[in-house]
Amino acid sequence: MTADYIAQQIVNGLILGSMYALVAIGFSMIYGIVRLINFAHGDIVMIGAFVTLGLLQSLGAPLPVVAVGVLLSGAGMGIAVERAAFRPMRGAPQVTGFIASLAVSIMLQNLGILTLTAQPRNFAFPDYLQALIHVGAVGFRVIDVVIMLSAVLLMGLLLLLVHRTRLGMAMRATAENLDVARLMGIPINRTIRAAFAVGSGLAAIAGLMWGGKFGQIDPLLGYVPGLKSFVAAVIGGVGSIPGAILGGYVLGLAEVLFVGLLPPIYSAFRDAFVFAALILILLALPNGILGKAAEDRA
Amino acid sequence: MNLRRPRWIWLALALGGVAAVGLAQAAWDDYLLSIVNFVGIYAILAVSLNLTNGFAGLFSLGHPGFMAIGGYVTAILTLPASRKAMFLALPGWLAGIELPFLPALLAGGAAATLTAFLLGLSVLRLSGHYLAVATMGFLIIVQVLIENWESVTRGPLGLNGLAALTDLWWVYGGLLAAVYVSWKVKFSSFGRSMLAMREDSLAAQCLGVNLFRTRVAALAIGAFFAGVAGGLWAHLVTAITPGTFSLIMAFNIVVMVVVGGTGSITGAVVAAVVFSAATEIFRPLEESFEAYGIAEILMALVLLVILIYRPSGLFGSREPAFLTAGPTHEPGNHPATAKGGQR
Amino acid sequence: MKRTQLGVLALAVFFLGTGTPWAADATIRLGALYNLTGGMSSIDAPALNGAKLQAKLINEKGGVLGKKLEVIGIDTKTDQKAAATGAQKALSEGVIAGLGYGDTTYVMAAAPLFQKKGLPFVTSGATHPELPKWVGDYMFMVPFGDDDQSFAIADFTVKKLNARNVAVWTDNSMDFTKALSKFYMARIKELGGTVVLEDFFKMGDKDFSAQIARLKAASPKADVVFVSAIPNEAGLSVKQIREAGLTLPIVSGDGFDTELVTTVPGPKLANAVYFSTHTYREDNRPEVVAFVKAYEKEYKKPPENAFAALGFDAVGLIADGLKRAGKVDGKALRDALAATKGYKAVTGEITYSRPSMVPAKGVSIISVMNGKYKVEEVWMPKP
Repeated sequence: MTADYIAQQIVNGLILGSMYALVAIGFSMIYGIVRLINFAHGDIVMIGAFVTLGLLQSLGAPLPVVAVGVLLSGAGMGIAVERAAFRPMRGAPQVTGFIASLAVSIMLQNLGILTLTAQPRNFAFPDYLQALIHVGAVGFRVIDVVIMLSAVLLMGLLLLLVHRTRLGMAMRATAENLDVARLMGIPINRTIRAAFAVGSGLAAIAGLMWGGKFGQIDPLLGYVPGLKSFVAAVIGGVGSIPGAILGGYVLGLAEVLFVGLLPPIYSAFRDAFVFAALILILLALPNGILGKAAEDRA
Repeated sequence: MNLRRPRWIWLALALGGVAAVGLAQAAWDDYLLSIVNFVGIYAILAVSLNLTNGFAGLFSLGHPGFMAIGGYVTAILTLPASRKAMFLALPGWLAGIELPFLPALLAGGAAATLTAFLLGLSVLRLSGHYLAVATMGFLIIVQVLIENWESVTRGPLGLNGLAALTDLWWVYGGLLAAVYVSWKVKFSSFGRSMLAMREDSLAAQCLGVNLFRTRVAALAIGAFFAGVAGGLWAHLVTAITPGTFSLIMAFNIVVMVVVGGTGSITGAVVAAVVFSAATEIFRPLEESFEAYGIAEILMALVLLVILIYRPSGLFGSREPAFLTAGPTHEPGNHPATAKGGQR
Repeated sequence: MKRTQLGVLALAVFFLGTGTPWAADATIRLGALYNLTGGMSSIDAPALNGAKLQAKLINEKGGVLGKKLEVIGIDTKTDQKAAATGAQKALSEGVIAGLGYGDTTYVMAAAPLFQKKGLPFVTSGATHPELPKWVGDYMFMVPFGDDDQSFAIADFTVKKLNARNVAVWTDNSMDFTKALSKFYMARIKELGGTVVLEDFFKMGDKDFSAQIARLKAASPKADVVFVSAIPNEAGLSVKQIREAGLTLPIVSGDGFDTELVTTVPGPKLANAVYFSTHTYREDNRPEVVAFVKAYEKEYKKPPENAFAALGFDAVGLIADGLKRAGKVDGKALRDALAATKGYKAVTGEITYSRPSMVPAKGVSIISVMNGKYKVEEVWMPKP
C-alpha cells in the first residue's frame, strides 16, 4: 500500500464525493425551505441525464448549450412537481410530504420505463473529455476535473445566491419560519417555487455529469443518487447547504476508501462499513456534522 | 380503560374472521388464497410498524431488517436436518434442531426483538431524519451480513424449498395477535405516554415519561411482529433471499402506515389491504394493454390523491367510533394536537 | 368520497379482473413470468418479446395440435412475492406450462409451484446448473449451465490467451455471478493457473475506481481480469478499466453479452474483451438469421440481447414438446420435454442427455475488438 495508491484512492473518493455533493445540495435546499424530504430528487437527476442525451443526439448542440437546456428543463420539472404534488401537501405532517415525493418518484420511474424501456443506453460525451491526465502517479480524466470544478463552482454560486441576494434572504427567512415570513410580506409561493427550481436545476446538471462520467443511463438510475443525496444531506446536517456538501464528500470518500484501503475480502462489506461509520458519526453528532439542534415542534 | 361495552363487538369480529377464513380456505383457489395471505402479512407488518412509527413517532426504516432476521431464523429452524446439511454449515447444536412452525416463529420473533433492543440502545437517542438514516443503515448492514455469511444463510442464493407451512389460519392468528397487542398498548398508560412523546417530547419528559425506555420498547414490540411476519412470509413463498427484505419494502410499509393514519391500528390494516390488493386489481389492465408499469403509476396517483384530500391519513390517529365506544379518551384526537409536526 | 361505493366498485373490479379461465379447448395457454418493471427489466423484457414472437410465428403456421398458442405475460416487478403470486395467477388461468426469468432467485419462487401442480416450468435465462435438482423433474432449462460457460471461458483464458495469473472480480450480491466465479476459479486452478487477486463489488455499483487501483497495484501482475457481472455493470467496468489505462484482456460470462459492452466504452476502448455466451450473436445459422429478421420486423428494432433469443426458444421448445407429446397434458408434456434430442433452438441445439438435466449446449466465445464482435470459437461440453 504505497503513498501513490492511497493518493489515488483519495482522489477517487473526492471525485465521487463531488457528484454526491452536487445532488445533495439541491436536496438540502428544498428541505431547508419546506421541510420536505424530496424523494423524487433522484429522478430529476435521471431526467437531466436523459434530456442531455436527447439534446446531444438529436440536436448535436455544443455542450454549454446542452447544459443550459438541461438546467432549464430540470428547473421546469421541479416547478411542475412542486405545484402538482407538494403545494397541496403544505401544512401536513412531514412524513406525508415524504410519501408524496415517493409517489412522484414511482410515477417518474415507471413513466420512464413505459416510454423509454428499461434498457440502459450509452451516453457519448465528446472525446476530449475522456482523456486521461496524470499528476505524478495519480490518474484521472478531464471529465473528472470538469465535474469537480463545476461542482465547486455551482456550490459557490448557490451559497452566493442564498446569502447575498434578496431571493436568498427570502429563502432563508422562509426556512426559518414560514408563517412569520408570510406575515412579513415575503411571497411564499414564489420563494418556494424558486427553491424547487434551483434545487431541481442543480439535480438535472448532476444528471448530465452522472451520464458523462459513467457513460450509461437508464430510467431507474435516479434511485441511487436520490438515496445517496438523502444520506449525505442528513450526515451533513439536514437543511444546511455546507453540510450537504460536506456530507457528499464524506460519503464519497467513505465508499471508495472502505474498498480501497481494506483487504479485498472486505469489499463486499463496503455498504455495511459505510453505514456503520455513518451511524457512529450520527451518534457523536446527533444533528449531523453541521446541523443545528432541531427545535421541538408542538 | 373501558372496553366492557364493545367487548361483544370484538368477539363478533373475531369469530366473523374465523368463519371468513374457514370459508376462504375451503372455497377459494390457490391464486386468491396467496393474495389474501400476502395481504394479511402486510397487515401484520403495517400494524407492527404503526406501533413503532405511529405510536412512538420514530421514523424507522429498519423494519425489513427485523423481518429478515425473523424469517431466516424461522426458516433455519424448520429446515429438516438433511437439507440443513446440504445447504449450510451450521455449528453442531444448531444443525440438528428441527422445530415445528409455532416455536420456530416465536424464536424468529424473539431474535428480532433481541436485535431491536441492541439496535435501540445504540441509535434511539437520535430522532427524525437522523434516526431514519441510522435505521436504514441497520437494514443495509443486515442485508450485507446475510449476503456474506454463507455458512449460515447460504448467501445471495438464499434458502429455498422451505415447507409451505403458512396458510390463512396462521396469518389470521398472527394478525389477531398483532392487533390485540397494539390495541392493548394504545389504550394503556404506556401507550398514552408513547403518544404523548410523539406529540411533544419535551412536555412528555416534563411529565416523567422516560423517553429512551419508551422508544426502545416501541421498537422492540414492533420488531417482534415484524420477525413473525418474516417467518410467515418465508414459508409462504417457500424461499427467502437477502434481497427479499429491501429498503423498497420499508417504503411500502411506511406508506401503508401513513396513508392509514399514523397511530391508527384500523387505518394500518385498511391501508395494507387496499394497497396490497390494489396492485393485483390493476394487473389485468397491464396485461391487456401490455403497458407494464401502469399499475405502479396508478397506485402512485391513488396514493397522491388520498394524501391530498386526507393529509393525516384515512383515519388520522383514531380508531373508528364503533370500536371504541365508552368514556375512553382517544389519544391524539384533541384539536390542539390534531396535526402534529407541521409548520 | 363514498367509501362503501368505492369498496363495492373495487370488489367488482377485483373479481372481474381475476377473470374466469374459460375452457382451454380453443387455445393452449402458456404463462410467461418475467420482471418487466424494476431492476431486472432490461434482461426480462426482451425475453417476453421473444416468447410472444415465437407464439405469433407458430400460430401463423397453424398453431400446435390444431390449436393456437397464447402466451400470457405476467409482470412480477423484480419482486419475489410478486413472482409467487404471479405463478399462482398463471396456474389459476389454466396454463399447460410456465416459462420465464433470467435469474435463479425468481425461478425458485415460481417453479416449485408448477412442480407441485404437475406442470412443466421452462426457464429461458436462469443458468444455475443445480436448478433441476432443486426444483424437480418438471423443471427445464433452455440455456446451458454456469459451470459449462465458466469452464469454457477458463479454458480460453489459459489456452488461447496464455494467461498464468488471473484477477477475479465478483458481484457478491447475485448468486449467478458468484457461481460463475466459483466455477471459473476452480477450472483455472485445475489448468495450473493462479488467482492473484480476488475483488468484489455489488450489483448497482457505478464506480470501480477502488478496485481498479488495487488491480493496478497487484503483485504478481494479473495477465487477465475476470469480471463476473450482469449487463448493467458490464459496460461500466470495461469503460473504467480501459480509461484507467489498463490494457489487459477482460473476460466474463454471458452477463457481458450486451450492446453496452461496446457502446458504453465506445469503439476505441472496447478492446480485448472476451466472454462466453449462448451461441447466437454473430452466428450465421439459418435459425439465427430468421429470428433476427422476424424480431426486427415485429418490434422495429434488433434483439436487445441474447435473452430475447432465449425467450423465443423457450416457447419453441414447449411447442415442440407438445407436438411430440401429442396431447395437452402436463405429464405427457413433461416426458416429451425430458426426451428432447437435438431441438434446433436459436441459441444452439438442446438435448437433455445428462442426469443433471442441464442441456449440453455449445458455448460461444466472443471477442470484442475496436467495438466489433467476433465469434472466436465454440466450446462443446462433454455430453
